[in-house]
Amino acid sequence: MATIREQGYSHWDGRLIERKRPWWPVTTMGIRLIFRKKNFRLLFAMSFVPAVVYLVGIYVSERVEDFKFMVRGSAQLLKIDPGFFKSYFTLDPLLFMMVMLMVFACAGLVADDLRHNALQLYFARPLRKMDYILGKAAVIAFFILLLTLIPGLVLFIFKLVFAGSFALFRSYPWLPLSVIGDSLLLTVFFVSYTLLLSALSRNRRYVMVMIFAVYLGTDIAFGIMSGIFKSPYFALLSIKANLQQTGAVLFGQRPPHAFPAVLSFGVILAFCLVAAWVLLRRVRGVEVIK
Amino acid sequence: MSIEVTDLHFSYGPVKALDGVTLSLGGGAVGLLGPNGAGKSTLLRILLGFLPAARGEGRVLGYDIRREQNRIRRSVGYMPEDDCFIAGLDGVSFTSYFGELSGMPHQEAMKRAHDVLFYVGLGESRYRLLDTYSAGMKQRLKLAQALVHDPKLLFLDEPTANLDPRGRLEILELIKDIATDNGIQVFISSHILSDIESVCGSVVILNKGRVAAQGRMADLRATDFSLFEVRIKGESEGFRRRLTASGGRVEVTEDRLLKVYLPAGRDPMEIFRAAVESNVQVRHFVRSQTSLEDIFARTVGVD
Repeated sequence: MATIREQGYSHWDGRLIERKRPWWPVTTMGIRLIFRKKNFRLLFAMSFVPAVVYLVGIYVSERVEDFKFMVRGSAQLLKIDPGFFKSYFTLDPLLFMMVMLMVFACAGLVADDLRHNALQLYFARPLRKMDYILGKAAVIAFFILLLTLIPGLVLFIFKLVFAGSFALFRSYPWLPLSVIGDSLLLTVFFVSYTLLLSALSRNRRYVMVMIFAVYLGTDIAFGIMSGIFKSPYFALLSIKANLQQTGAVLFGQRPPHAFPAVLSFGVILAFCLVAAWVLLRRVRGVEVIK
Repeated sequence: MSIEVTDLHFSYGPVKALDGVTLSLGGGAVGLLGPNGAGKSTLLRILLGFLPAARGEGRVLGYDIRREQNRIRRSVGYMPEDDCFIAGLDGVSFTSYFGELSGMPHQEAMKRAHDVLFYVGLGESRYRLLDTYSAGMKQRLKLAQALVHDPKLLFLDEPTANLDPRGRLEILELIKDIATDNGIQVFISSHILSDIESVCGSVVILNKGRVAAQGRMADLRATDFSLFEVRIKGESEGFRRRLTASGGRVEVTEDRLLKVYLPAGRDPMEIFRAAVESNVQVRHFVRSQTSLEDIFARTVGVD
């Protein structure tokens, strides 16, 4: 054990600042901690593969003549319109990568603090419950927006650059708003989903399993139920199907399932409200056992 | 006064944790003493705003405990009883992180974290991951995070819990140094009488959610008593009445053990005489080995 008092106590002569965003240190520390995980960096890099493929698609779409030998009869697939953007945002592998990022990076955001009794340290600081939740939510938002909003806008801008004209913007002036809207929807959903499950357990591994299993399980349940009852409404059980349904509507495309998309919006909204309610109950400075 | 509370009430469901606590505490080191469940941690948590008082008012460093919690938290340091840390962080990142959360600029917090870690004796281990810290090191780290923003008042909840004797002495030495040489007011909650005795000039004793006694240590120590554990066969009511009538006090524990408190200097044979007169058999008689805080509470005549 080290010798006690290697140096005497000295007072700090600085002045404490009142932050406008007291949750900001929580976010930056959360992101820093996640990037310290070596395995995560590889997964994070891989999650950009869909964006890169779509970017290549945009480039090829403007050089169809040059890439005739590759494209052949599938040139219509490279038609860059809202459908192209919708297909990126509702792509199975993209949603799957987001879930995997949540599993490996964000599962412990609240669970670890619960496990190590860290909440009382946070709340002994000038930090409200909402600041703590916002700080943690911003960590998830950072990763989801990096996979949705940033690539979405980059794809749009690159299309304009490669085309050398504003034709896409003139034809679909609302497209950037769709990109922002669906990105925000996905962000709000994944923030709620991950924080909810993370707050339900003190064991990060258990949360990791839950994040993966619930996502996969709801989709399997949808597949089984719709196979038996032949009703599209069972898509409401599936997280993935609901996100694809709402994504299609936000990009002005025909929804993949034959029921009003407002129901999917309702499911997502209800889920987020339940998550917020549970979070506010689970996150507190002291465990009060009555 | 650094802490002033009036008629503070708080309940966990049907269990009253604080029942009309009124306190007025000044500078230096103040001990908050009481048996487990006396309401010590609850009082600290209400002062920090973790729990809302059902009734009553209070001010910490002049700030209202209901309306100015953020100001209180900015000005005080809190060292919780439980083991608490953030997995994946090293000592210096952990300490500076909580400095930042208190409102310190990032660079300043980092610099200050180094100083504070050296002060608590973790200078050599400051870059080690917290997961590898021993119980004693974690205790010092908790003290470091409480000190990082240079608070005016420190709340220490059971600061020597889970420490070996040497570690305990070292932490107590640190606390004494903080309170006496550095002008930081310290409010220590503990159920270990000797810890409080060695560090604090004055003490508040809580029992069953009420202030049983408060004052300077020297004044409180003046009282004395003898405590005996007695188990009898027969009807205990008459036995208890006789002892109470002769100036003693009797408490019955859950397993029907009688705790007999006799004023200092009284002959323990009085217990046997009362037994004979009450026609009960004494089956077990021993000078009490109960905890110090219980004896201390009895010394000052608390209920």
